[in-house]
Amino acid sequence: MNGDRAAVSLPGVTTAPIPTGAAAPAATVSRTRLLWLTLRRKPLGAASAALILLLVLSAIFANVLAPYDPLETHPEIRLAPPCREHLFGTDDIGRDVLSRIIYGSRISLWVGLLAVGIGTVAGMIIGLVCGYWEGRIDLALQRLMDAVQAIPGLILALAIVSVLTPNTTNAMIAIAIVIIPGNSRIVRGAVLSAKQNRYVEAAEALGCRNLHILVRHILPNVTAPILIIASIWLGNAILIEATLSFLGLGTQPPIPSWGLMLSSTGRAFMEQAPWLAIFPGLAISLAVLAFNLFGDTLRDAWDPKLRRQG
Amino acid sequence: MYKYVLRRVLLAVPVLLLSSLIVFGLMRVMPGDALTVLMAESGNIGEKELQKLRKDLRLDLPYHEQYLLWLWQMVSLRPGDSLLTGERISTSLWKAIPVTLELTALAMVLGLAIAVPIGVLSATRQDTTSDYAGRMVAVSGLSFPDFWLGTLVITFAAIWFKWIPPIGYVSFWESPTRNLQQFLLPAAVLGFRLSAATMRMTRSTVLEVLREDYVRTAWAKGLGGRIVVYKHALKNALIPVVTVIGGQLGVLLAGAVVIETIFALPGMGRLTVEAILYRDYPVVQTNVMLVAATLVTLNLVVDMTYAWLDPRIRYR
Repeated sequence: MNGDRAAVSLPGVTTAPIPTGAAAPAATVSRTRLLWLTLRRKPLGAASAALILLLVLSAIFANVLAPYDPLETHPEIRLAPPCREHLFGTDDIGRDVLSRIIYGSRISLWVGLLAVGIGTVAGMIIGLVCGYWEGRIDLALQRLMDAVQAIPGLILALAIVSVLTPNTTNAMIAIAIVIIPGNSRIVRGAVLSAKQNRYVEAAEALGCRNLHILVRHILPNVTAPILIIASIWLGNAILIEATLSFLGLGTQPPIPSWGLMLSSTGRAFMEQAPWLAIFPGLAISLAVLAFNLFGDTLRDAWDPKLRRQG
Repeated sequence: MYKYVLRRVLLAVPVLLLSSLIVFGLMRVMPGDALTVLMAESGNIGEKELQKLRKDLRLDLPYHEQYLLWLWQMVSLRPGDSLLTGERISTSLWKAIPVTLELTALAMVLGLAIAVPIGVLSATRQDTTSDYAGRMVAVSGLSFPDFWLGTLVITFAAIWFKWIPPIGYVSFWESPTRNLQQFLLPAAVLGFRLSAATMRMTRSTVLEVLREDYVRTAWAKGLGGRIVVYKHALKNALIPVVTVIGGQLGVLLAGAVVIETIFALPGMGRLTVEAILYRDYPVVQTNVMLVAATLVTLNLVVDMTYAWLDPRIRYR
């Protein structure tokens, strides 16, 4: 039965119509369908999608879901181990850890979405310009991207945040900057191969303007790799935000951020109260894992060729 | 080969220059200049002393002269003094670099020791339980934050085994056992993170190579499974893995930042984080530039090794 299903969906993968500008709505439908088929075939992919949904819902409905106020202190029950009233225990000033984790998903997701959004759009524009016009501008911009990439992402983000002041917004900006070069390179590659298509040549021959060709004929070819990379970057962005906050250069107290919870109370009381270190770390790991796995699933569904480049 | 090497080196120079411009520019974006920020935080230095300090650090020069001066300092390996401790940056680097080198080298060895066997196992038993288990290990290596793993390792070593890593850094030459006690756990955490990408790459390249004709020939000759996999397949499969390792060097150095902070190892990473926290900008710009230069050089070396191993690359 399993093999049967694979046989049904495999032709769908290999013979997926290459989306063109004119067929944009149809292409969207078929991509969603491809994703759906893959999700049904791969339990891990479905699980990751469910986890992401859970994360999004807990961020949106944090005020309904959280049993307590994440900032409310109860010194009389400080460092209480997990129990029925406080499923994940309480921290050193008696705040409920579960509520703080639920509210923390807002920070993680917000930073992740905005950073990846900015980084992806900027990277995409640079990649489109480089891939479409090539020549000198391509050479210059790509060397600039090389230069940014020469500095490891986390160290660059640390330096950027320390120059601006450490807070959530600046952490987000720093992460966005870290994302740009890799994205621009992937988009550039996709544009270079999309340009080989006959219909691009035809559009040029018809006298279409550059912008029109870029947006209507080339961009649709580039969206699949962009979305795949964006999903993986979302996980990474959450990880970098947590790391920055852990090092004291991201979200500042008392705002509940997962990385901050780990460093401020998790490490200080880890022997008396290991739950303070375990649960926030678990939240980060699961969120990042979900986006990584979902990225892999998207890749399997839309672009088997990309598999090697990850 | 000679032409290829020359071209690659020539391409690396502008990249490094641009990196230095980015780093320098970043340090000058601070509102006011570095000193105003620094002094606002410590708060007990008069305007006159500030002027003098500014002059000593050449912050009164126009930007392009400051940049050229700094570039010369970097090239001549005399990066100046730390604002915070007053120590020569070259002296503190001389102490910090061996720590990071040992940590990263150990992590690399441990990472490969985890990654290659599991990657091969995953590929030779594709779509079995052990393949899925191996892939899960790889994805969790990519997803679990290293600072969390580090914290957990320290916590549970203390709770379960009543074991705390020896405090106060000891170099390998003073006491190898004590030194290894300090380094093994952090290197293992870092190595685990590193192994993820290598494991995935090993799996996919071994899978590819196993379908090649010469591997089929080896099977047809009646060679044993181990010889086919390890002697015929793995040897060729490992070439692309070398490039992945090159790409991981950045991950390794960034990981060192976090791991050194958690395990209190006085390496480059901790030095940089502290400098960033206290806005010790001469140290920050020197360290970041040093890391960038190291990465660019190592990637160059990796590319050349690759071109040397696979002559087709040179003519692209």
